[in-house]
Amino acid sequence: MAEPLVARSALRPHVAPLASPAGAPGVTLVEVENLSLAALAAFKGREAELTDAIRAAFGVELADGPKRVTANGVSFLGTGPGKWLAVGPAGTDFSTLPAAVTDQSDGRSVFRLSGPKARETLATLVQIDLHPRAFGPGSAAATHAASIAVQVSQLDDAPTYEIVCFRTFAATLWRWILDAGLSREISARHAG
Amino acid sequence: MRIACPYCGPRGVDEFSYLGDATLKRPDPAAENADAAFHAYVYLRDNPAGPHRELWQHASGCQSWLVVTRDTRTHEISAVEYARDAAIASAGAE
Repeated sequence: MAEPLVARSALRPHVAPLASPAGAPGVTLVEVENLSLAALAAFKGREAELTDAIRAAFGVELADGPKRVTANGVSFLGTGPGKWLAVGPAGTDFSTLPAAVTDQSDGRSVFRLSGPKARETLATLVQIDLHPRAFGPGSAAATHAASIAVQVSQLDDAPTYEIVCFRTFAATLWRWILDAGLSREISARHAG
Repeated sequence: MRIACPYCGPRGVDEFSYLGDATLKRPDPAAENADAAFHAYVYLRDNPAGPHRELWQHASGCQSWLVVTRDTRTHEISAVEYARDAAIASAGAE
């Protein structure tokens, strides 16, 4: 009998510990589950066609640059010239877009880091400038955190950051963020 | 050293991988002196003290290949462009 495929978190309690501070949390780390992710690469010379298709299908105006644009719960993060990472609720179908579409739903893990000390916690891990004048809501960056390739984007002024990494690095990155947050009253919970 | 990626903005050099000389042109294999030309193309490099055009890839970022004009004496970077744009410009100039 075939085993049904079940989506499971890459985080397990023994590799990605939980944390709850004694007082109010300065920074909160959560894993975002039940997402549909896809890497999009526009075909040569057909970028406008992809922009039109995304506008028609999702109501999102694709940005040409390291930006995060969102509408109706679906986001597109700029990851390179003519390349985007699409993030939507589980079941969102990106496969019909006129681009090279690679499903990443089981290949990436997505974390959210928020709270008054989220910026300084993240700043200990990445080398990009996170000051509000350089990086604000709607900004995105492909970079590395503790030598782990990540896509970082900012959602709001809380500030809330979304961090996307390859699934096999999820537990290691989780530990790095937890270590960075321990002196900043981090609250961390995941569904693993 | 920081390199101003045309897509990502200025980033630390640790995000980039270095390939080498960007001024090399693959010789014509049908030419009479092809052996000598390929020997030079594969093995012989100048070591200029001054501005040098070189290929870098933003490997930990947007993955773009770049042509960086860097002064080898001071590490001052005077120009960064997409390698594709540089190749198109160079092909157009011929």
